[in-house]
Amino acid sequence: MTSTGRSQANRGPSLLLVAAGLGLDALASWTMAQQSYRWLPVQASTAAPYVDNLFALETGIGTFILVGCSAVIAWTLLFNRAPKYDLDDGDPIEGNLTLEIIWTVIPLLVVLAIAWHTIGINRTLATLGGKQRLATAAPLTSASLLATGSLPMAAGSLPIATDSEDVGPIQVIARQWSWEFIYPNGVRSSELHLPVDRQIYFRLISMDVLHGFYIPAFRLKQDLIPGSVIDYRLTPSRQGRYRLRDSMFSGGYFATNQTDVVVETGAEFEAWLAAAERAPLRPSFNAANEIWQQRLAEGNRGWATVPPAPPPEVNVSLDPQNSHEA
Amino acid sequence: MTSLSQPAVTPPSTSALPDPNGPELDPGASHGHGHGAHADHTMTGFVIFLASESLIFLALFVGYAVYKSSAPLWLPAGVEGLEVREPLINTVVLVSSSLVIWLAERALHRQRLGEFRAWWLLTMAMGTYFVVGQAIEWQHLSFGLASGVFGASFYLLTGFHGLHVVTGLALMAFLLVRSLRPGLVLPEGKGVLAVSLFWHFVDVIWVVLFVLTYVWQRR
Amino acid sequence: MASSTSSPSLDPRVLKEPLPMPGPQGNWRRYFTFNTDAKVIGIQYIAVALLFLLVGGLLAMIMRGELITPPADLVDPTVYNGLYTMHGTVMLFLFLFPVLNGFNNLLIPPMIGAPDMAFPRLNALAFWLFPVFGVILMASFLVPGGPSGSGWWAYPPLSTQNPLGHAINGQLLWILSVALSGVSSIMGAVNFCTTILRMRAPGMGLFKMPIFCWTALAAQLIQLMGLPVLTAGAAMLLFDLSFGTSFFKPEGGGDPMLYQHFFWFYSHPAVYVMALPIFGIFSELFPVYARKPLFGYKVVAIASFAITVLSLIVWVHHMFYSGTPQWMRNVFMVTTMLIAVPTGIKVFAWIATLWRGSIRLSTPMLFCLAGVFNFIFAGITGVMLATVPVDIHVGNTYFVVGHFHYIIFNMITFGVFAAIYHWFPKFTGRMYYESLGKLHFILTFIGSTLNFLPMHWAGLMGMPRRVASYDPEFATANVLASLGAFLLGVATIPFLLNLVSSLVRGPKAPPNPWNAIGLEWLLPSPPPAENFEDDVPTVISGPYGYGLGRPLVEDQERFERRALEA
Ligand SMILES: [Cu+2]
Repeated sequence: MTSTGRSQANRGPSLLLVAAGLGLDALASWTMAQQSYRWLPVQASTAAPYVDNLFALETGIGTFILVGCSAVIAWTLLFNRAPKYDLDDGDPIEGNLTLEIIWTVIPLLVVLAIAWHTIGINRTLATLGGKQRLATAAPLTSASLLATGSLPMAAGSLPIATDSEDVGPIQVIARQWSWEFIYPNGVRSSELHLPVDRQIYFRLISMDVLHGFYIPAFRLKQDLIPGSVIDYRLTPSRQGRYRLRDSMFSGGYFATNQTDVVVETGAEFEAWLAAAERAPLRPSFNAANEIWQQRLAEGNRGWATVPPAPPPEVNVSLDPQNSHEA
Repeated sequence: MTSLSQPAVTPPSTSALPDPNGPELDPGASHGHGHGAHADHTMTGFVIFLASESLIFLALFVGYAVYKSSAPLWLPAGVEGLEVREPLINTVVLVSSSLVIWLAERALHRQRLGEFRAWWLLTMAMGTYFVVGQAIEWQHLSFGLASGVFGASFYLLTGFHGLHVVTGLALMAFLLVRSLRPGLVLPEGKGVLAVSLFWHFVDVIWVVLFVLTYVWQRR
Repeated sequence: MASSTSSPSLDPRVLKEPLPMPGPQGNWRRYFTFNTDAKVIGIQYIAVALLFLLVGGLLAMIMRGELITPPADLVDPTVYNGLYTMHGTVMLFLFLFPVLNGFNNLLIPPMIGAPDMAFPRLNALAFWLFPVFGVILMASFLVPGGPSGSGWWAYPPLSTQNPLGHAINGQLLWILSVALSGVSSIMGAVNFCTTILRMRAPGMGLFKMPIFCWTALAAQLIQLMGLPVLTAGAAMLLFDLSFGTSFFKPEGGGDPMLYQHFFWFYSHPAVYVMALPIFGIFSELFPVYARKPLFGYKVVAIASFAITVLSLIVWVHHMFYSGTPQWMRNVFMVTTMLIAVPTGIKVFAWIATLWRGSIRLSTPMLFCLAGVFNFIFAGITGVMLATVPVDIHVGNTYFVVGHFHYIIFNMITFGVFAAIYHWFPKFTGRMYYESLGKLHFILTFIGSTLNFLPMHWAGLMGMPRRVASYDPEFATANVLASLGAFLLGVATIPFLLNLVSSLVRGPKAPPNPWNAIGLEWLLPSPPPAENFEDDVPTVISGPYGYGLGRPLVEDQERFERRALEA
């Protein structure tokens, strides 16, 4: 027997060891929780701090568990190793009811506490509005969307623009593979401009397959579902240029389906909107289309894909030369 | 699956050599030798299989109910609903065949082979009547598989069920032919029991299906 | 189709001599026949599955080659889409499910003292479907337009777009292949459940059954309950793709969301179909290599079923950002997080089994230890993904890819490797080479960590999954991941070398080389065709009696002697 008989005699030092270990573990967890903010992009919406704090909390708890378990495993590997050619058995411990109850109840309480806390955050964030299935026998076409406001209002939708400060609804239209944004005044752009610190309302529409409206700096994403109009809202909180990425796989040139979100002051936003209104409609820059044209020029090799939708006609196009912060 | 804590011990067979041609799930398999130990579990396996199979229907039913109550478009243009009278007669015939197959089972249990064959044939006739009735109904419907989510759901549900009815009929025909084989040892319980269980299953599924599609028509 | 050439007039006992495994003198041909012996079928499953592991790994390495630089420069993005779709499908349906079915076949009958599975012919049929749907899936590389490129979720309406309009297309073959795999799995599940419930040795009550059998039963129950729902969804998808229906097309009143419900109702629990047997393998191996009874056997056994039940009510966590209403998100967040409790019980029980043991760091033990460590990590990221706000940010990013691979490779496949090494002597009659095994372990551990850990970071920074190209800020994480993937490719060399050379010229294995407790170790290595035949031992105590000095079965010495003499 390698380790029997050294248990009862020296309780004191081992308790001290356990306490020191737990202390170190707690310290490590705290450090990791603080570190966790650095693994994330800048916080550019009012939702971001909630997400990051929750993530830090979970990183801390998770580190505590991972380090704690690993320390015990490492301990056994250091001190309970069988010497070579030793064929003895270990301590024949078959179980311990108290321990088993403890490690059932404590994790249960921990996850329930995290869940309770998170439900509160969900209530605070409440980004998702109603969802209205479109009653249409024909597929949605650009033409049917051209008249702004021709879409049915979502039942149980968010109270749109009750506050005069609120902006929207901005129609977000996703295609294979382009983004188009239609502002309430009819301006169309393939780059999303938003005023900072104002609540923005969106109506998310997909023209073909599933897409995902995802802005990492905002920590928010929402799928666009063909056949449904989804109401959505968020509040940008930091000026800058950020990436908007398609997050739900949409086929062929999915990876290129990204554009920029420009968060600017209210005055800058109004000025941009006014300038955009005067600009003529022209086809947007569209990365998928560029690749497709190149593929056709090279003899259309590769595996099957639907061709990209024609680039949307916009007043303001995105510019691939711009660099984004996150 | 009589008792879970007391394992049913495999009785050691005289010849434990696996019979490579020994039927396993084949209904009506008679085991004169060896390997019979395995066959004792046929019903266990079959019940497990049926329980699993019923979940396909459950999934399809749930899908149907969800669509029926939420789809913005349901009945295709020009379709008022489903005619109930003929399908109702069909339903009565199919459900009563459950009783008839039970009579067949009982006859076999009492070793009356002739009576068994008669009830068995009657069950098959009733099943055939149902399938033919269904085919005629399909022919006269004004909507097709591609007529929106209603048409698709209707044909998928009734078609998938119909496939089960046809399977049941084929199994019954198979057993009937086997029962004509000379030198048959009675009672040839297992296969009949399994097929009859399958037939009850098909009937119960139909009742739910009938209620969902024909009775629950209003939105 | 008897594999043996003996004429039926011979004494049947002649056939029950331990048949030599593939080798110069062995009748290796039986592995290419419709053999109904569970042990042959088990090895057939494992061998073909390992072949597909290489195929899937090759696809992964081409993908990582593409992703080592930000632009899509190695292959066309459409090719990348096909590669990642096939990688996922191959690894799940052609490697992990089959390899675990292989272990079910090898282990369940000997562990419970049964001669074979309950339905041997059904068993062989289930196996032979596997090469069939494997070939169908591989054939999709050859059809015009290439294989399915819609991801292993095959979400409509993307999956039903059928760009070239051919009747035979990659997506159709994909659906057929997955559907046949489902049929095969259902056959297997009926077989495994019946065998475990009805064919246990005398005296082996459920609570004297090895944990592997508990977890296998729990996993196969999921198959029986989940697969039919996937089948329903796949049938509707097939109709939408090929017969013009509109189940999931908004134009006809259909809703793509219904497919997601059907798909995830099965495909979340499917992860537990793979994870549960691995929990079983960990529970088998820790007692052997720590020389201690499994800590809290009963609780560990019951926790398997808690996982089964919970796994069936969590699927909506894959749809937190798909327009799911708030109350539903909250409900499914709680159910998902609850899974941490029964899995936690198991992890703590394994660690407690190590405590004050007499630990031997052989190759299988190393894979187990690393697998558990990775699993704790993956469990933590899993709880993070369960909380809605974090999932809204990292869902559908590389964070999920990292988490998923930590489960599927760093835990499950580590468990598969551990099981292969541990039971290799038992079922081949040959010892493996320990040094090659350790080399395999070290390369695999470093490679997998390098491959999958940086993915979490890329996801936190906002890199979507399934992209063929990406913004330059994600380059560092991706270079690391690619290097890790190539290292994993290198790691298969000592593994395969070990398998092949041990099979051919490894030292002969004794019946119980690890001094382990269990019915399978009372049999010769390799066990005879019908295991204990008609002389099944009567089980008198629970498994894992290490250090307790109690016999497992009546007349234990006799069985041990018999195994040695065989
Ligand atoms: Cu899941």
